[in-house]
Amino acid sequence: MAKKKTQGTTSATVSRVFTATDARTLTQLQSLAERIISAAENGKDPFMDIPSRTLSNVRWCPRKKIIEMGRSTNRRQLFNLHQAKAFMQTLLVAKGAAELIQAGKTLSIRGLYYRLKHRIKGTNENTFETQEECDPIIEDLEVLLDALREQLHLYADKRGDMVGNIVLVDSGDEIDCSRMGSGGYAIPSIVEPEVIQFKKCTAKFVLHVEKGTVWTRFNEDKFWQKHNCILTHGAGQPPRGVRRLLYRLHNELGLPIYCLLDNDPWGYYIYSVIKQGSINLAYESPRMAIPDAKFLGLRSCDFERCGLSDSVKIELTQVDRRRAMQIAKYPWFAQKKEWQREIKQLLENGFKLEVEALISKDISYVTEVYTPERIAKRDWLD
Amino acid sequence: MKQKVRQTVTKSTATGDPSPVGGDGTLGDGRQLTGAARPRITAQKLAAAQRDISVSEFFAKNRHLLGFDNPRKALLTTVKEAVDNALDACEEAGILPEVWVKIGSVGTNRFRVAVQDNGPGILKKQIPLIFGKLLYGSKFHRLRMSRGQQGIGISAAGMYGLLTTGKPVCIVSKTAPENPAHYYEVQIDTKRNVPQILNGRGDGIDIPPGEAGARWMERHGIEWVDVPHGTRVTIELEARYQKGRGSVDEYLEMTALANPHVTLHYEDPEGNEKTYPRATDELPPEPKEIKPHPYGVELGALVTKLQETTAPTLYQFLTGSFSRVTPTIARRICEASGLSPRSNPKRLSAQEAETLYRVIQEIKIPPPASDCVVPIGEKLILEGLRKLVKADFYAAATRPPAVYRGNPFVIEVGLAYGGGPGVQKISRETLAEMLAECDARTLRQFLITQFDGLGPVGADKIIEEAKLKRRMNPAKLSGAEIDRLHHALSTVNLQEGQTMNVLRFANRVPLQFQAGACVITQTIAQMNWRAYGLSQSKGSLPTGPVTVMVHMASVWVPFTSESKEAIAAYPEIQREIRLALQAVGRKLKMYLLRRERVQHEGQRRNIFLRYLGEVADAISAIRPIDRDYLFQKLVDIARKKTAEADMKLDERGQFVDPSELFDGSVIVVEQPSDSEPENNGLHLSHSAAVGARH
Repeated sequence: MAKKKTQGTTSATVSRVFTATDARTLTQLQSLAERIISAAENGKDPFMDIPSRTLSNVRWCPRKKIIEMGRSTNRRQLFNLHQAKAFMQTLLVAKGAAELIQAGKTLSIRGLYYRLKHRIKGTNENTFETQEECDPIIEDLEVLLDALREQLHLYADKRGDMVGNIVLVDSGDEIDCSRMGSGGYAIPSIVEPEVIQFKKCTAKFVLHVEKGTVWTRFNEDKFWQKHNCILTHGAGQPPRGVRRLLYRLHNELGLPIYCLLDNDPWGYYIYSVIKQGSINLAYESPRMAIPDAKFLGLRSCDFERCGLSDSVKIELTQVDRRRAMQIAKYPWFAQKKEWQREIKQLLENGFKLEVEALISKDISYVTEVYTPERIAKRDWLD
Repeated sequence: MKQKVRQTVTKSTATGDPSPVGGDGTLGDGRQLTGAARPRITAQKLAAAQRDISVSEFFAKNRHLLGFDNPRKALLTTVKEAVDNALDACEEAGILPEVWVKIGSVGTNRFRVAVQDNGPGILKKQIPLIFGKLLYGSKFHRLRMSRGQQGIGISAAGMYGLLTTGKPVCIVSKTAPENPAHYYEVQIDTKRNVPQILNGRGDGIDIPPGEAGARWMERHGIEWVDVPHGTRVTIELEARYQKGRGSVDEYLEMTALANPHVTLHYEDPEGNEKTYPRATDELPPEPKEIKPHPYGVELGALVTKLQETTAPTLYQFLTGSFSRVTPTIARRICEASGLSPRSNPKRLSAQEAETLYRVIQEIKIPPPASDCVVPIGEKLILEGLRKLVKADFYAAATRPPAVYRGNPFVIEVGLAYGGGPGVQKISRETLAEMLAECDARTLRQFLITQFDGLGPVGADKIIEEAKLKRRMNPAKLSGAEIDRLHHALSTVNLQEGQTMNVLRFANRVPLQFQAGACVITQTIAQMNWRAYGLSQSKGSLPTGPVTVMVHMASVWVPFTSESKEAIAAYPEIQREIRLALQAVGRKLKMYLLRRERVQHEGQRRNIFLRYLGEVADAISAIRPIDRDYLFQKLVDIARKKTAEADMKLDERGQFVDPSELFDGSVIVVEQPSDSEPENNGLHLSHSAAVGARH
C-alpha cells in the first residue's frame, strides 16, 4: 500500500499541464476526498449522495425528446453494514481515476478492475471479486462527479466500425474513411473533440446498421459510395463511443441518422437508446441521444411487403412478447400511433425477422433494393 | 436355589424318559411331573438337596448385580466402592477428605488397586467384618444421606479379587498418630459369609507408630502414605484398564466435580500421577439421620415395625417411630382407623394393620424435614464444572427439597455451554494406545463409545474426514491411518454433530452406566430443548457443545439395581429434574440471545474496520493527507458507532452492567475482545462479509 501511495504523490509532484477537463475532474475528485476527511475530523458519518440510476429516477422530457436523469439520490454511507464495501469501492475507483489523470494515461474498465483488485489486508476478501462488481461503481462515480467515463480516463472495449465519405483526425493521424478497405475504421471508445476532429465530409447521411455482418454486406456492395453516405455499426447495442460519434456527426455536421435494425424488441430498443438515451446512462443522454434518428426497418410488415419465405421466421419467445409490450408502454413510444401499430403487428405476426432475412431473397436485395427504396420514399418510423 | 435344583433334576430324568414329549424341555415341569408314571424324585431326596444359600455365594454367582460383569467394569467398581467408603468415613468423622488411588499393573490383566484415605481409621476388631463379610455395615439400617447403602460394595470387591486371583484384601488402618497401625490380610469365606484373617496367625499384625513402623512396612512392601489416621485397602484382581467412557479416570474426574471438598490423588497403571485439588475447605454440613416418613413405609414394613416396637401404645408407636407424626396427627390416624390410641401395637391383627396402613396413606401429613439432605450447592457446582469442562457459559440450579415415597430428596443441575468436545485435546500417542486397547468392533463404535459428547453424526464426520471406513477394526489401523484419524479428530468441527454430554450423580457418586435406564437421561430427552436455543430431534438428547450434570441427593436413592448405575423413574423425581433443567435452560437461552446480539455488533465493527484501511489509503492517494491520522479518525467513529458491542444487554436489549446480568448461579467466560485492525487479527471468513454487499 505504501508503494502505491508514493507512486501517487510522485506523479502529483511532476508538474504536468492538465487540460481544462482534467483539472476540473481532478478538483472534483479532491473535493470528494475533502468531504470525507472533514466528516471524519468532525466525528461524523462520511457519506456521498449518488444520483440514482434506476428507472424510477429517469424522466422523459417531451420538449427535448430525450430521457433525463431525475434528482433523486441514494446516500452511500461508510458506517452502514450494507454500504460499507460499496463506499470503499467507490473511493478505490476514485483513487484509480486520480492516478490515471495525474499520470496522463487511460485504462480500459477491465484494466482498472485489475489495477484495483487486491486482497484486503488481514482478511481473505478481495476489494472486487469480479469486473461486474467494479463496472457499476465506475458509473456511480461518473454520476457522482458529473464526469464522464472519458474524463476519468477510462474506456470500454471498442466496438463498431465506420466507413464512408469523411476524413477525420484521430489523435493527430489523418484518416480517410473512404479508403478503409473491407475492415473499416474501428470507432474508438473515446471520440471527444480532443481526440477526434472532423476534417472533411461530403456524405449526406449516416446509415447505422445493427451488426458487423450486415455492415460488411453494405461495405462490399459499396453502398456508401453509390449513395454518398457514412456506414456505421455498433455490434448490437452500440457502445458509448459509437453513440457519441453518431451524435457528433448529426449535430456538428448536420447529417441525418437512419437505422437499419432487426425486427424484434431488441432492435426496437437499440433504436430507442440511440434516439432517446438509455435508462442506466440517462445522465449521458444530453450528449448522446439523437431525437431525430429514424428507424428504416426492418418493419413487421416487411414479411409480406417483400414477399419473404416462411423459412426466415423466428418465433417470438415469451420474453420477447413481454419485452415488446414493455417497450410499447415507454412514454416516448406510447404517443406514437405508428409505433403502436408496428409493435402490435409484431405481436400479431408471432415471429421476428433479422436483417439477414432479406438476403434470402437476393444477396444484395437489402443494399440495392430495400434500403434505397425506404430512403427514397422517406418510408421510416420516427 | 431350590428352583434350580428341581429344574436340573427334572431335566436329567426327562432325558432318560423314552416318551416323545419328554425330551424337548419346552413343557413346564409341573406337567412333566404329574404326567410321569413313577416319581422321579422323592420329597426326602429333595429335602436333602435343599439348604441355605449364603449371601456371598449368591453374589459370587451373580457378580453382575454388583457391577462386576466384565474385567473392565470390575476395576472401576473396585475403585468406586473403596473411594465411596473412604469419603463416607471421612465426612462422618468431620475430616476434610484426601484420597489416594493407585492402580498398579501386576502382570497381564492383573491389577493391584490401592485406595487410602485420611479418615478416622477403623477399630481393630471391625476391620475383618467390614472387608470380609457381605451385608455388614452401618448405613443400611438408618435413613441418612450417604454414598454407600447396603454394605456390600467393598467386601464384594474383595471377594471378586479373591475369586479371580486368590489374593486376600490387605488393609492398613490407623486411628491416631500415637496408636499402632493394624495390618490385616483378609479373605471372605464365601460358603459361610464370614471373614478369615490370614496373617499374624489369624489375628493381624500391629505396626508400631513412628520410624520403626515405617521401616517395617518398607521391609514388607506395604505402601502407606504417612497420615495421622486413615485406612488403606489394597485389592488384587483380574481386570482391564482402559481410558475413555466408563473408565476409572472418568469416575475420578466426575467424583472431583461432585465433591469439591475432596482432594484426589491418582496414579494410573502407566505411572501417570494426577491430583484434583479441593475447591473448598468447607466440609458439607453433616446430613441428619431421620426417621422414616409414614408415606414411604409399605404395608409389610409397617407390620414388621409393629412387631418390633418397644412402644407400649399405638399412639407412642406412631409418634415415636415416624417423622412428622405429631400428637394431633397420631390421634387423627387412630380415630380414622377405629383403633384405640392405647392399644398395644404388637397385638394388632393383620386386618387392623392393613386399615392403619390405608389410613396413613390418606391422612394429610407434612413432608419430611429436609435438613437430612445436603446438596452440593450452586457455587461449588459451577466451580467444579469449570474445572472439568472448558466452556463459555456455566449455570447451576439447586431445587428446594421434595419428597418421593416419603423420602426427601434434592435435585441439582449444572450446565456448561460452548467449547468443543474432549476429542480435540487428545494426543497422537494416547489415541494410538486407546485404539490398541479398545474392544469396540468397528471404528465408528470406538469413536462413539470412547469420547464424551461424540454422537454418530460426529463420528461419521471424523471418519469421512480421515478417509477411513466406518467398519474398520480400530485395533488394526496402520500408522498413517492413525495419523489421519488424529488429524481429523483435531480439525473436524463437531459443534453440530455433538450430542449433549450428561453427567449423572446420586449422593455425590458418579453414575457411569445404564444411562438409557436412568430417569435423568430420560427426563433430559423428554424435555424440549429447542425452547432454550439448542437443537434436538424429538425424544433424544439435544445436540450442541453442552454438558449437563444432574445430582440427586437423598436419604434413599431409588436405584434400579444393586450395581447402582441408574435411578428409577418416580414422577416426583422426574418433575424436580425437569424444573431444575428448565431453570438452567432459561439462563442458557438468555445467554445465547445476548451472545448473538453482541456477536452481531462485533461483526458490524469488524466489517467496518476491514474497509477503513482501504478507505484511508484511497483518500490519501487522491489528496495529500496523513494516512494514519485519517485512519485513526475513522476507527474512532467506527468504535463510537458500534459501542454496543462492548455493552452487556439484557433480554429486552437494555444495557446492563455485566455484574447485574446474572445472579450467582451463572458464570460467563468473557471471550477475547474483537481483534483490532492493527494486529491484523481479522480472521473472519468471507461469508461473514457477504452482508456488506448490496
